[in-house]
Amino acid sequence: MGMSSEVLIRHRFVLSFLMAIYSQVLLAADLEALPEFLRSDPFGAIVAPDRSGADLASSLYDTQHRVILTGSRGGYVSFHLVVKLPLPGLYTLDVKISDPTNKVQIDLFREWFHFTDSDKHYYPDALIPVHSTYSSRLPEPDNRISQQTAQAFWVDVYIAPDAHPGTLSGNATLKAGTKIMTLPIQLTVMASVIPAEDAVTIDHNSYGSSWLAQQFAASYQRDPEHWFESNQFFGLIHAYHRIFFEHRGIFHQLGYGHSGKVGPEFAPVLEGSGKRKHITSWSLYDRHYGPLFDGTAFSACRRGRRPIPFVYMPINPEWPASYEFWGEAGYEAEFVNVVSEMERHFREKAWTHTNFEVFFNHKKRYKGFPWDGDEVRFPKDLKYFIEYGRLLKKALPAGTPVQFVFRADVSWDMEQQFKLLEGVVKLWCAGGGILSFYKDAPKMLRNRGDVVWYYGGPPSVMDSSSAITEFPLRAWLWGVNGYVHWLTVSPGEDPWFHFNGGQTALVYSGEGFGITEPIPSIRLKIQRNCLQDLAVLDSLKGRMSLDSLRAGAARSYNNSALDDWWNPRPALADLPSDQWLGSAIDHATKHTRQRLGHPVASAWYNVHQYALTLQAEAK
Amino acid sequence: MRILYLFVLAVSFMVLVSGNAKLNPEAPTDLERELDDVARVGSVVVDGDVCQKIVTQRAKEFLFAKEPRDEFLAGDNYDVDDVAFNTVKKTLARLSHLSSFPADVNLWMPIEGHAGKIQLVIRNKNEMSQFWNWGELYGDMVPQMETVLMTGQRVTVTSKPGWISVLSPVHNSLGDVVGLIEAVSRIKVDVHENVK
Repeated sequence: MGMSSEVLIRHRFVLSFLMAIYSQVLLAADLEALPEFLRSDPFGAIVAPDRSGADLASSLYDTQHRVILTGSRGGYVSFHLVVKLPLPGLYTLDVKISDPTNKVQIDLFREWFHFTDSDKHYYPDALIPVHSTYSSRLPEPDNRISQQTAQAFWVDVYIAPDAHPGTLSGNATLKAGTKIMTLPIQLTVMASVIPAEDAVTIDHNSYGSSWLAQQFAASYQRDPEHWFESNQFFGLIHAYHRIFFEHRGIFHQLGYGHSGKVGPEFAPVLEGSGKRKHITSWSLYDRHYGPLFDGTAFSACRRGRRPIPFVYMPINPEWPASYEFWGEAGYEAEFVNVVSEMERHFREKAWTHTNFEVFFNHKKRYKGFPWDGDEVRFPKDLKYFIEYGRLLKKALPAGTPVQFVFRADVSWDMEQQFKLLEGVVKLWCAGGGILSFYKDAPKMLRNRGDVVWYYGGPPSVMDSSSAITEFPLRAWLWGVNGYVHWLTVSPGEDPWFHFNGGQTALVYSGEGFGITEPIPSIRLKIQRNCLQDLAVLDSLKGRMSLDSLRAGAARSYNNSALDDWWNPRPALADLPSDQWLGSAIDHATKHTRQRLGHPVASAWYNVHQYALTLQAEAK
Repeated sequence: MRILYLFVLAVSFMVLVSGNAKLNPEAPTDLERELDDVARVGSVVVDGDVCQKIVTQRAKEFLFAKEPRDEFLAGDNYDVDDVAFNTVKKTLARLSHLSSFPADVNLWMPIEGHAGKIQLVIRNKNEMSQFWNWGELYGDMVPQMETVLMTGQRVTVTSKPGWISVLSPVHNSLGDVVGLIEAVSRIKVDVHENVK
């Protein structure tokens, strides 16, 4: 019995329709390579803040539509791969570069698309490590974007310092249904090696540890009573240090509050009072810091085992000396005896490669103490710094190999503090806006052996991709030693579906993806690549003057001159700092804002090209 | 002789209550009783005249200042007389030693000309308070605080689960109630809270 003609027609129609759709999918499935500065949204378009660099879209391709990469040894070359499927479906992405010596390695990351409540758009930022052969479907189930037609991947190509110079070949292959699409990749490994040491130190700051329990809640909930003393907890802290270290940065965790409460893992245990106050246990402290101070926490890192260069001490007005004895003999005895014990412990452990920072973070507005340790505004507060300088000097034996350094974070009163605290404070962390009034300060401070950083916060994902590079570049152009992102581990309550933009985060918890460690961000990767270029540029100062290198970089970045990065000293700088108004400071920094504007997406691409050109000329 | 007797008595009391490492209280009633003792003594020994000298005139003038272009105007102008602050803070710290478990004694003061508002003036090393919202320069006065300031009576507050605060008046030499102390602790102390 045959089908009726009506049914047959209907079946044919359905079949034709399905074939049409299917072939459409196959024809339209696409794999696109984009430079690191062009971020895709989940629908395959470049996100709005990066469209200023849209002319870079084809910059990775040669005339044969191959992806052409060039990189120095001892670093990374990065780009995005974007899988595009116009209709829901399965796919497999495979990225390979053949290197029999395994000195060139691929790290593939799936880009998470964060929905930002403020502008109701999607931006990629968190990078989820995946295997170099990755199979999934669109829409990506966990990202929950119903109309998603594109999935972006960040590709890091790591080139070991001892890789062989030459050309390597590889492919990025997309399989969707029966269609296979291949992008040939050609990597040129240059003979040059990116210096291991950075031209500027980039610090990633944080406060306390309670945020770890929140961001790794599943781990914490398994044993909340003992979690803060567990191997998982200390392993997690070390993992945060590692992720920043592998991205050419450092990590700070302040261990006390504005009234002097010290987290148990940040300080040895004390007992007694007055001249009998002493350390009774190093247990948690050594578990926390031992692997960081001897470098073993970094044994498996590509950059190699290295002690952390800086760390906050737990010292504050309430620790180790009790503030109730302030100004009395007992305060001095408690401070000097305990700090001396610490110095001895560090010396015996040979922890002599780390700068132990004596740093006061408290502000009087938080009601713990009657003077500002952080950002002193009232000159009368400086007498406390001088007293602590005296106590510290008394606590430390002359010629100790342990490096204690008095650090001050300064803004309003920095010019006075540079003078009055000479020889007391040796590490200055200066507010960028006010430091921009004092062009001669970095050189003056460095000439006397001080270290100078400036501080600010990470850019939002809603800024252009190059925005993150402005901070390291400014540090290098200014001639300071480094830059501090004041908070980098706090992505908000729901970074995945209701994101605040990420101005306090450059890493994320991996727990939601089955990863028991932090995961990086696109901004962190771009910052790392920027630091590679700065290290290269700085290494060329034997061939060119540093000023001309800086001028070339500034010109490439945003067509600026070096003077554009400084503000003229305003009249208010001659007033006592307690008479300044915040709004007047804003006005006084207008010059740089007008001259520099916001960096366009291609800004750092141009600096990278400048560095490559100089490297080629140097060869 | 009488002074010696009082001294021995005081030392004996201190040894009794703080001779061992400070532990969490076994029951909320222990906590409440001890905090009430601390608060009662605090009302006697905290000098209200000195407390009134802590917050500077400048800080008071800027406390409610608003400037759209300068969101930190009030905080940036917050200042204290450090001699007065240190004098009172030392007393508060010593008062907290009267308890056998971790406790703080905080100083709160009303704000002249701003009825219903109150500011925390001194915090202490365990960073505990049942009423302070972290970071605020001043806040709304809870009714129990108002009661203490109006009547001069001690009031126990257990509004937040697991927390006990005993509020107690601070007098100046004129006999006026010029502020209050908060003797505070928790059933279960969180050693990581407010380490930030």
